Formats: sequence, structure tokens, C-alpha cells
Amino acid sequence: MKRRLAAGLLVSAMTITTLAGCGGGSQDAGTTAAPTETTAAATTAAGGSETTAAETSAEAEGESVVSGPTELTFIFADGDEGAKASMNEIVNRFNEAYPDITVTIEPGNGGAYSEFLKTKDSVGEFPDIMEMRDTAMYVRAGKLEPLSEEIQSMFLNTMKFDKEVYAVPLGGENTNGIIYNKKYFDENGFTEPTTYDEFITLCQAIKDKGDMAPLVVGGQDIWHMGFWFHKAYNDQVLSQDADFIKHCYEGTKDFSDPVIKATFEEMKTIMRFAQDGWTSTPDAQITTFLVSDMAAMMYSGTHMFSQIAQADPNFEMGWFAVPSPDGKTRLVGGAGVGGLAISAESAKDPDKKAAGEAFIKFFYAPENYKIYCERLSAIPATVDQPELDVLPIFQEVIDATVAADDLAPMWNGRVGENELPPDFRNFTYKTLVEVLQGTREIDSACEEMNKTWKTAMESFNPVTGVGIE
Amino acid sequence: MEQAKAGKSRFKVDKVAIAFIAPAFIFYTLFIIWPTVSSVYYSFTSWDGISPKLRFIGLANYKEIFTSARFGNALKNTVILTVFISIFENAFALILALIVDSVRWAKNLFRSAFYIPVLISGIVSGFIWKIMYNYNFGAINSMLTSMGMGNFKQDWLGNTSLTLIMVGVVLVWKGAGYYMIIYLASLQSVSTDILEAADIDGASPFQKFKNITVPMISGAFTINFTLSLINGLKVFDQISVMTDGGPGFTSETLVYLLYKVGFNEGRQGFGTAVGIVLLFLIIVLNTIQQKFLRSREVQL
Repeated sequence: MKRRLAAGLLVSAMTITTLAGCGGGSQDAGTTAAPTETTAAATTAAGGSETTAAETSAEAEGESVVSGPTELTFIFADGDEGAKASMNEIVNRFNEAYPDITVTIEPGNGGAYSEFLKTKDSVGEFPDIMEMRDTAMYVRAGKLEPLSEEIQSMFLNTMKFDKEVYAVPLGGENTNGIIYNKKYFDENGFTEPTTYDEFITLCQAIKDKGDMAPLVVGGQDIWHMGFWFHKAYNDQVLSQDADFIKHCYEGTKDFSDPVIKATFEEMKTIMRFAQDGWTSTPDAQITTFLVSDMAAMMYSGTHMFSQIAQADPNFEMGWFAVPSPDGKTRLVGGAGVGGLAISAESAKDPDKKAAGEAFIKFFYAPENYKIYCERLSAIPATVDQPELDVLPIFQEVIDATVAADDLAPMWNGRVGENELPPDFRNFTYKTLVEVLQGTREIDSACEEMNKTWKTAMESFNPVTGVGIE
Repeated sequence: MEQAKAGKSRFKVDKVAIAFIAPAFIFYTLFIIWPTVSSVYYSFTSWDGISPKLRFIGLANYKEIFTSARFGNALKNTVILTVFISIFENAFALILALIVDSVRWAKNLFRSAFYIPVLISGIVSGFIWKIMYNYNFGAINSMLTSMGMGNFKQDWLGNTSLTLIMVGVVLVWKGAGYYMIIYLASLQSVSTDILEAADIDGASPFQKFKNITVPMISGAFTINFTLSLINGLKVFDQISVMTDGGPGFTSETLVYLLYKVGFNEGRQGFGTAVGIVLLFLIIVLNTIQQKFLRSREVQL
């Protein structure tokens, strides 16, 4: 018996340790301790936005920004050919325009860029200017120089860390909207809705017609659910309280708040129009639904344009932003946490600081920034927009981001005091699916979110600093 | 004096034997025993899996486990899946083994055909079945539609009342071939003398199976049920690929919960505590099962 028990123990131990051994889960924990906010600068940018190509060129041709020959090193994620080509071209232009400054591009190892930059830092080769991704971590470590008001004012919005901006966006966040079958709309007399109620009426009309699903949703990939969830969360929560998550950390609000319940309600209203089997449809299949006349609309980012065009070059796409119930247009877009940044160490040298700032201003001058945006299909993040030679539908999105009432990153893309605990996003989406499938009531979902939040907060709370070090 | 000598020689250190055993012992201790023992310690902490700092929180993780609805849900799912595959994997494997054992031609072909799913990795088999289960484009629903049975179409992995069973079907399909080989080996060791004696006594095929074959292959039952119990309790690949524990938390099992909280949610301490509870669960269930099945074994 003892031998059998021992054998059983051994088998069990091996089973568990096999599981215990696997690991290396992705972690974004502890990215910042500094309070952060996204600030729309568009309305206050008039003066600064004038600092564009003309001014930078004049600056270059006239009085030099440096007291003597200055060299700068520049690193970016060069895994993408478009990024490599456009950066090279802009740097060459800059070096020509500023003869006393030389910007040298160093290989950026695009595949594992974050790790590469950490390595460069640890061996004392941190660049003077760089594409920054883990901004919060480097800000915390004092590695980045705050950027001037003049530079900040060039952008539609910027991400602030304790009232300072350390990185300016290379492109706007991926803007979500409805991509629809234009031919089907035209044939049936459907038009783009201008209010939330009109959108729901449109969905109902397509559903009643019965020849295709109004919406295709890739619910098997829970991050896809995040597109819709963010829309509802933006409409109901962020519109009321942009610091809701911070207040939850502080304990002044929780997920039983009426705004969260309203978010679930809005999701339930919208998801009535999703195709049958949406929970087992992966994001990779939604294009097929659209081009095969199985669904009339999808809600996704601009990255889908090329996928749809590849799937069916003759497919006629239309695009519109889904208005919020209060009539405003709230879009995902503008600055994320990353972008171009200047090293704090480098900025100790006034010449290098001036040269770095001149480079950033030159980079975002419309005629230079245009190269980057066109090569990478990036939505310009600047107030002074470059004129891009892009698909009309893409230009429509760009125009919408400029005209939007609110432009903000995804709810889970925020940092500082509004940063979510690790994987709380996924927990929320899974709970959302339960609500949408009717296996959980909204009140119960809110209660579960509160429980999980309470537990998560014990190991991650940027307001108190727990889990941030 | 002689006794003392004998005693001394009994405890004599065999340096050669130790030299041979040592590498395996050190390796096993370092990578199996030590992680297992240390995980007990981590289960009493709120370690996030990365930070060098550990905070001792006593039994808080265990308290949460036994009061958490998510753990209860994962335990329920694990039990359902384990019972399902233990029964159907063995039943299916035994039927396959009896077929292969009784056919007179192409025996190797049948054996190979039934064994092929075992050779496919869990991840790959998960992907294949996930495509087949797809509501709109999957082979199963397409077949039903083409046979005029469109009303029976289901969202196999999206319907919360079907998801777990559909994952179980894949596990049975993949695992049965392995158990079949064990049953087959055992069936082939059943003495033909006894079967012939039973024939002479006028026993029917069912009586022979029930009274001779089953008792004589009971050792295979013990092995197979033990293995399927353990496999059921630690199923991970197919859940990860096919459902990601969803829809919602419908198919989240204990091991998947362990993985999610430990590696995705940065709660390694809690995840380790779940692992320890799972370890004890395996020990208890395995011990009960062994006791029950061993008592039914027949030794010749």
C-alpha cells in the first residue's frame, strides 16, 4: 500500500511540476508610477502648429540651433521595411537641412525592440533619440527628457506622465469604426447613421430584411470583443468620468456603478445584431463574412482595409463612426504611450537637446511626416495634417479623427493611475461574454468584477504604488 | 562477529552505483523535487512571478480558493471533463481493442489507423477540431446542412451547454488509441486455454468476456483509468486552443485557471496554491481509484 501511495504521489508530483515548469506568461505589470492623462491639445495648438516645415527650414537655413557640430544617435524598431525606408529618408533630409547636425541611425532589431533598447541602455549605449515603447518604465527610471510645450502643441493629443510629455506619437492609435458593404447599402437604400438611435434602427432594418447578419463579430478572440466593449465603455463610462479606473483604485467607485451597468446594457443592445455563432467566430474570419455577403457591417480598425481589399479587390467598402448615445463622436485615436523621445542623459548637453528637439519638429513637419504615414498607413497624429495619397476610405477615417468630439486610447491602453491590473481586461471581456450569452446577470457580473478587482488591487495599485516597483 | 560483518557489508556504499545514480538523482531533485517543494512555499505568498520581493500572506490564497466562485466553476468543469473522458476514453479504447483483436485481416492497418490520433499533438488536434466545429464554415454543420438536417446545426464551441462535452469528444478521439494499445496487449495475454475450456463448458461470448476477459485484463483497466484520470485533471492544450476557457468561463479547468492567474494575471502565488490543491486532488482520487481497481484485479 505504501509503495502504491508513493507511486501515486510521484505521478502526481510529476504532473504538477510539469505544469509548474511551464511559464513565461506575458506581463505588463508595473509599467508606471506616474499619474498619466491624455490631453487633447488640438484646440490650443494654433500657435505651435505653425512651427512646421517652413519654420524648421527657415531655422535650418538661418541661425543654427547648435553651437557647433553635433552628432545624434537614433534608434527605432526597424523590423518593418516601410519604417526603415521612411525613417532613412527623413533622417537624410534632416542631415541635409541641418549641416551642423548629424543624425546617425543605429540598427533597431525590430523583432524584439523593447528588449534591444533595454540592452542598449544596460551597456551604456542608450540613444539620443529613439522610438520609445515602454515609456512609463523609462520615465520612472529618469531616462527620458520632458518635451517642450512647443513640441506638444504640434499634436492632436499627447500622453502625460505627471504633467509632462516624454514621447510624441508616431501615429494615431488604430481608430475603430463600422466598415460596411457599400453596394448592399446602396441597393437597399440604407444610409450611414448620424446618431446612435439611427444606427440601432439600421441594424434592425437589416436584421428584418433577413438576407445577412447586420454585424459580424469575432467573439472567439476576446480582444476583438474589446473593440465593441471600448465603444460602450467610452460612451457610458469615460464620457462621465475619464478617471473611473483611478477612482476604483482609490475606492471611491466600483464596478457596481450605474455607468458600468449601462455599458453592459449598451453591449446587449448592440450584440443582438451579431451573426449566429459569433462566440465561436475568430477575428480572422470576419473579413470572409463581409465579402461573402454574410454580414453587412463589421466594427474594427483601419488595418482591416487592406485585408478586405486582398480578400476581394472588387468589394466596395464604406466607413462610418458609430455615434455615442449622447450624440457625440468618440473615437479611439491620437496618442498612445509610445512615440519619439529624447534621452535625458543626452539632453544634459544643450546642443544635443536643441538638436534632438529640432529633429522631432522636422520629423513631424507635414512634408516629412507624410512619408512615414503613407509608408506605414499611419493615421497622422499632428494638428498640422500632411496631405496623404491614401485610399479615400482611409482619408475618411483621418478626417473623422480630426473632427471627433473625443479622441482617446483604448480603455486598456492607458497608463499611470488609470492603468488596468494585469489581465483585468481579459477577465472583463470574458464576463461580458457571459452576460451577452445570458449565463450571467449584469448585477452578478458587476459583483464578480468587484471581487476580481479587489484581489487584483492587492498586488497592483498605481495610486498607492503597490506592485509598481 | 559474522553477523556484524554481514551487517557492515549490507550497508556498504557502492560507489559505482552511486556514480551512476547521482546524475539522474541530482537532475530530478533540481528540476522536479525542488520546484515541487518550493511551490508549497510560494503558495503562501502573493508573488507576481517576476518581482524579487515576496510577501508572505499565510493561508490567504487557500482561503480565496475555497471561497472563490471561479475556482468552484473550474473544479466543476474539471470533474465533468475527467469523468467524461475516463468513461468514454476507456469504453471506446476497449471497443477498438476488441475489434483489432478479433479481426483476421489487416490487423496492423486497423491498429495503426486507430493509433494515428495519438501521434497528433494536442495543439494541432485542437486546431483541427476547432475548424470542424465552426458554426458557419465547419465540416460538422456543413454536413448536417447538406444532409437536410440544418435544424440540428449547433454552435458547438459557442453554446455554453455543449462546449465542455465537445472538448471531451476531442480528448476521447485523441487518447483512445493509446489506451487501445494497452488493452490490446492485455487481451492478447488472455490464455486461449481458459477460453477454450469455457467454450467446451458451453459459455456464451458475453459470458466469456464478462467472466474471463474482463477479470484478466483488469490490470489494464487500472493503468488506463489512472492515466485517463490524470490526463483529465491536467487537460490544457485543447482548452487553450479551442476555447481559451470560454465562452466566458464555461470551459475553464483547474489547470487552465492555474495558468491564467499564474502567468497572465501576475498572481503566481495564487496559481501555485491552485497547483497544490490540484496535486492533493490527484493524490486523493488516484489513491481511491487504485484501491478500488486493484481489488478487482485477478492474478494468475
